[in-house]
Amino acid sequence: MILWPVHRLIWSDPQRRARKLLEFAEVEASGGRDLVRAAELTNDPVLRQRYLVHARDEARHADMFQARGRQLRKETAGEGKEGLADWMAPGERGIDGLDLTRESDADLLAFLHLSESTAARDFARYARVVKGDPATRILFQRILADEDEHRAYTHDELRRVARRRSGRVLWWARLRRLWKAYLRFATAFAGVMAGLILTLQYFVLLPPFAVLARRNARKEKTGWVAVGEEKVR
Amino acid sequence: MNILGISGHYHDSAAALVIDGVPVAAVQEERLSRHKNDAGFPLAAIEWCLDHAGLSPDDLDAVIFYEKPTLKFDRVLTGMLQGWPGSWRGYPKAMKNMLGEKLWVRGLIASQLGISARKVRCIEHHQSHAAAAFLTAPTQEAAIITADGVGEWATFTVGTGHKRADGSTDIRILRELRFPHSLGLFYSAVTSYLGFTVNEGEYKVMGLASYGRPTWIEAMRKLLRPTGDGAFALDLRYFDFLGKVESGYSERFVALFGPPRKNWQPIDLKSPEGQRFADIAASAQALLEEVMVGIAARLRNETGISDLCLGGGVALNGVANARILREAGFDRLFVPSAPGDAGCALGAALYADRILFGQPHKPVPDHPYWGPQPDEAALLRIAQEDDIPAIVSGSAIEEVADALAVGKVVGWVDGALEYGPRALGHRSILAAPHDVAMRDRLNRDIKYREEFRPFAPVVAAEHADLFFELPPGGARLARFMSGVVPVRPEWRDRLAGITHVDGTARVQVLDREMEPRLHALLEAYGRRTEVPVLLNTSFNLAGEPIVNTVAEAYSTFRRCGIDLLVAGNVCVTKPRVVRAQILENVA
Repeated sequence: MILWPVHRLIWSDPQRRARKLLEFAEVEASGGRDLVRAAELTNDPVLRQRYLVHARDEARHADMFQARGRQLRKETAGEGKEGLADWMAPGERGIDGLDLTRESDADLLAFLHLSESTAARDFARYARVVKGDPATRILFQRILADEDEHRAYTHDELRRVARRRSGRVLWWARLRRLWKAYLRFATAFAGVMAGLILTLQYFVLLPPFAVLARRNARKEKTGWVAVGEEKVR
Repeated sequence: MNILGISGHYHDSAAALVIDGVPVAAVQEERLSRHKNDAGFPLAAIEWCLDHAGLSPDDLDAVIFYEKPTLKFDRVLTGMLQGWPGSWRGYPKAMKNMLGEKLWVRGLIASQLGISARKVRCIEHHQSHAAAAFLTAPTQEAAIITADGVGEWATFTVGTGHKRADGSTDIRILRELRFPHSLGLFYSAVTSYLGFTVNEGEYKVMGLASYGRPTWIEAMRKLLRPTGDGAFALDLRYFDFLGKVESGYSERFVALFGPPRKNWQPIDLKSPEGQRFADIAASAQALLEEVMVGIAARLRNETGISDLCLGGGVALNGVANARILREAGFDRLFVPSAPGDAGCALGAALYADRILFGQPHKPVPDHPYWGPQPDEAALLRIAQEDDIPAIVSGSAIEEVADALAVGKVVGWVDGALEYGPRALGHRSILAAPHDVAMRDRLNRDIKYREEFRPFAPVVAAEHADLFFELPPGGARLARFMSGVVPVRPEWRDRLAGITHVDGTARVQVLDREMEPRLHALLEAYGRRTEVPVLLNTSFNLAGEPIVNTVAEAYSTFRRCGIDLLVAGNVCVTKPRVVRAQILENVA
């Protein structure tokens, strides 16, 4: 509820909305590829089937988000700025950058379940704030139905695979997600800090060297450069 | 000696292992990590290479990285200084990139493998390309050209290579062009302008070029002009390699050619805008060919050598390659199966063996199959678990030929994975090449890609001249699908599925010795249709790397319109209900 005005602000601008939808398309497509990978790696035939169906849904969601995002872009004829800092992008996060070759079926299902729950909650919220854009609202609602189904099957399968351990696995997955969220935030924060320091360095330290470099550049001739003996073997 | 070659940290990481002068394993990281064009440190590829040979990192005598990070850093920093203050946006990103990991690659390799840093050496990027092209080619003496976006400083080199009777080898780079004057970056800027992803969509520009006419060639010449010494220089006012690293072109470029295509805009070739994009692609392609042919012809005259080895990303341009072979005066043109950065892993290892350590040259087996083998039994198990009809057939080739002849699409997994971007018969989707409907079906139901992109054929070597106008030396160029040649006019109707709009095809000419099973399939198909030619496209879906394991082949098979999946003698047929689901999904 606290973030309600932020969401309204983000989704009120059609160009920003288009960009967000196109970002979601990428996330869904990437999540779909991860699920395909999970299907390829699991030895459980039931999960293989489930993951393939789930991957197909994600691919379909990606197409739907992309179609709507492109439509909005066309309507607004806006180019928009590409990309946001990763930690600012809401929505589903695929399988959270997991190394699928090292995850057990239970751990993966727990991650998927939490991921789908988050996505369902986010999409429900977005569907509410895009009231002025019925096409986008319907899109979110349609996808939301799938996310609910995904949330349910991942929970059922987790209980089948992990049996009595399922609660513990889920809590462990929550902690790991929290840790990953912290890492994402820390990496983004460090990136911003490094960017600021390097930009400062660029304007404070580099100018004299830049003058020298440009002077040298003027002396450089174009065309072939004979290669010295050091490269002749 | 056991020498591991590594390429990575820019795009398309790979590892290759050379033991006693002969390659034993090479694989791109993307095929194992399943991230297309994976640029990360190729740990999985290294592990696979070592496991395959039964070695541990301690058994390695040397590990060779394919470029010199300090020289690269020098170029990046100098570029930023020269571009001051306009390069302020790119500077933090470039420095974080270089200082974060790339500059310390020797230490990184040593720590990842747990070996002494003394064993790790770096050679120059274009030396790796030159070695990958020359040392793998069955020739004793060749002129060498390497061309790509940029390595350390060099963007284009010319030289010669010799393998002598006493086993000694040399690669002599005579001269080079330096950043920012780069044919690869020129083409990449056009790729970006046309709305395709740089380092990924260049072949789309080549495909699109066939739909256009080079009406913008004079405008292109403003961007890239000849220098008095036979080279070329970019007019840097039209480019912005520092400020707009992702796109590479400047506002002046846009003023000259008009608004760029946005990546989400479909290309409608019937519209004036779509035609403008095709004409621009055709113009850039024509200019690239002109430059390559001119430099190659001068090198031919200068060296008097009749063979040419071509390396670097530009060597993936099959149209330009064929034109070089036809017009530059060389008898034979060798392009390795992996001429891009991935191939540098093998090039670096071979360079170290022959030149740094002075080992005698040994012929390198003339095939691209250096990766993991498929596990047929695993496919049978998976299919049975999923209740998908699967059989082990003693006559799989005949059955596949029957299926292809009635219009089925076949996923074909056979033998070790190819090294390089082309599917050369071990991880291929095969289909009948006769009509446009098949091409459209593949684009729509299987590859999910743009309609203007052509499909390649594979033909048995004995019959290649019947169907294709191969120039002298063309069969060699087509061995790894490296040249685009005309389809003979009288066959274009019967080969409509693989004939591009300009009447050409990027054909693979297959020797029986290189791939006997696919050759046998071509013969079997020829007996049924009188045309021993098949459509051969890479076994992957859009945005995914080519499949490696049978599990990956199976999941791809399940998700698209492939009718039959074959791995060795195991044949898996798609049940009608699954096919219906896929079609419904596509619709």
